[in-house]
Amino acid sequence: MAQSDMTALETMEADRLSVRLTHAPIDVGAAFAFLADPGAGGLDLFVGTTRRWTGDAETVALSYECYAPMAMKEMRRLIAEAMARWPVVRACLWHRLGTVPVAEASVLVGVATPHRADAFEACRFLIDRLKRQVPIWKRETYADGRMEWVQGEQSPELPDANGES
Amino acid sequence: MATITLRVLFFSILRDQVGRDAMDVRLEAPATGTALLDYLQREHPPLRAFRPVLRIAVNQEYVSETRALADGDEVALITPVSGG
Repeated sequence: MAQSDMTALETMEADRLSVRLTHAPIDVGAAFAFLADPGAGGLDLFVGTTRRWTGDAETVALSYECYAPMAMKEMRRLIAEAMARWPVVRACLWHRLGTVPVAEASVLVGVATPHRADAFEACRFLIDRLKRQVPIWKRETYADGRMEWVQGEQSPELPDANGES
Repeated sequence: MATITLRVLFFSILRDQVGRDAMDVRLEAPATGTALLDYLQREHPPLRAFRPVLRIAVNQEYVSETRALADGDEVALITPVSGG
């Protein structure tokens, strides 16, 4: 592909995807506005929220931190993977950082596709991959005053394990 | 003796364990991620417990720890992530 074509492609991709790390509350309406597209027949929005109860432990506050430049790159890469697998018209991955009060949105995944089945699948893929791959960590503060970093169940996959370069 | 200097980044529980979020580490060249982790584990024994689940990212890409490191590389130690 010629250099100029590559530039055009990247510009087009950039318009169709949005990744964001924000200390402000996540604006679901803004995500819907970004995803709206005449080529889309279905929009899937997944919103992850901060849960008060995990088993018997009561959470009073959650806080998120990240390795920002890498998190942005990984989120873009995950959307590119979704776009390669499904006919994604537009997609967004937004994650909140810092303290998030209980019951508020910590992450939003949005996907627009021509038909709904692809939107459900691509949305599920993106949230599952984000939780495994994107360098963001959650710290819980419990009602008894304990603070604890949450560790994911599995280490992130190496790119080779996905059959990539 | 040839050496390389790496910028090593710590996040979340590892930052708490090590007591800082970044440090420069000088290693004899050639060096791999394994050599870096071995060195860090000697200097900061609490890291030992995390070794089985640690992933490294070099210049913001996940790589195998057997990969050779280069002078000036930014190496992040990544415990299993918990975003979402």
